Amino acid sequence: MSTADRRSVAGRTESVWEVFARKAYDEPLHHVGTVTEDDEDLALVSARSIYDEQPWIHMIIVPRSSIREAIRP
Amino acid sequence: MSTPTQTDAPAEATAAMASLVASLADNKAALGRRYAEWAISAPTLESAVAAAAMAQDELGHARSTYPVLKQLGVETAEEDIGGGHRLALLDDELPDWTAFIAANLLVDGVLTTFVAACAGSSLTQLAQRARKILQEEGTHRVHAEAWARRLCRAGGRERDGLVARLRETWEEAGRWTGPDDDPGFRAAMASGMVTQSPAQQRELMRSWLVALLGAEGVEIALPEPPDWSRWDAGLRRWSP
Repeated sequence: MSTADRRSVAGRTESVWEVFARKAYDEPLHHVGTVTEDDEDLALVSARSIYDEQPWIHMIIVPRSSIREAIRP
Repeated sequence: MSTPTQTDAPAEATAAMASLVASLADNKAALGRRYAEWAISAPTLESAVAAAAMAQDELGHARSTYPVLKQLGVETAEEDIGGGHRLALLDDELPDWTAFIAANLLVDGVLTTFVAACAGSSLTQLAQRARKILQEEGTHRVHAEAWARRLCRAGGRERDGLVARLRETWEEAGRWTGPDDDPGFRAAMASGMVTQSPAQQRELMRSWLVALLGAEGVEIALPEPPDWSRWDAGLRRWSP
């Protein structure tokens, strides 16, 4: 994991999670933002709290460190 | 102010439920305010947003619970909303983050356990509100459990501070449903208004929290309250 994927908060290293959501079953998941938490459950709570601007029917979080680039910019 | 009740339940049952529902709403209003204060000072920005979201939920639950009192023959004036039937620990700002998490676990937990015991209540308005409250409280529980695990794993002062705050909070929150032999509560159960006794609700809380902390190697006991001498049944409040 690169240092860009983690940040240190009050001496604790936290992970970045990418947040994806959709409003309808026939829509693809869209990237809506990130949350920074070392705990998976708290990351889920944060994602729901922070990105509540739309009536989502589905939201997922993915640790940034799990993403692999097929094509690099 | 008193108005005709909209239930066929005995007066003793109706009075007990009116006391519980009024205090449920007052405690949720107070808890919402206490959560909101931490929305500007939580340890991380993510926790601050979660605190703000939980505050909004609690204030919404309080606002939607007050009208249930009308079915119990109690007319609630605007000035009664956010009244004093609340736990003493919610009178003032929660002093530190471990106190916040202890309230998130035990105050929120005790109130939600009562709401769950009313999900099939003969008080139809309360049963209807219970479904939405329980759905939103699921997130509060996830937040509280995750922070409890985090503080336990931190060890030392953070873990010991949490356990101390939990013991203090249980002194008040554990008594909120009242003594197990309360005749009004028994009458409310007999009338189908609430399905679980005070002791049964305390046992649900105890088994959940003891297992949660036990999985982190931390022992805690949440005893049945041995002493009710400082319990104010009218305000549903223990004087610490």
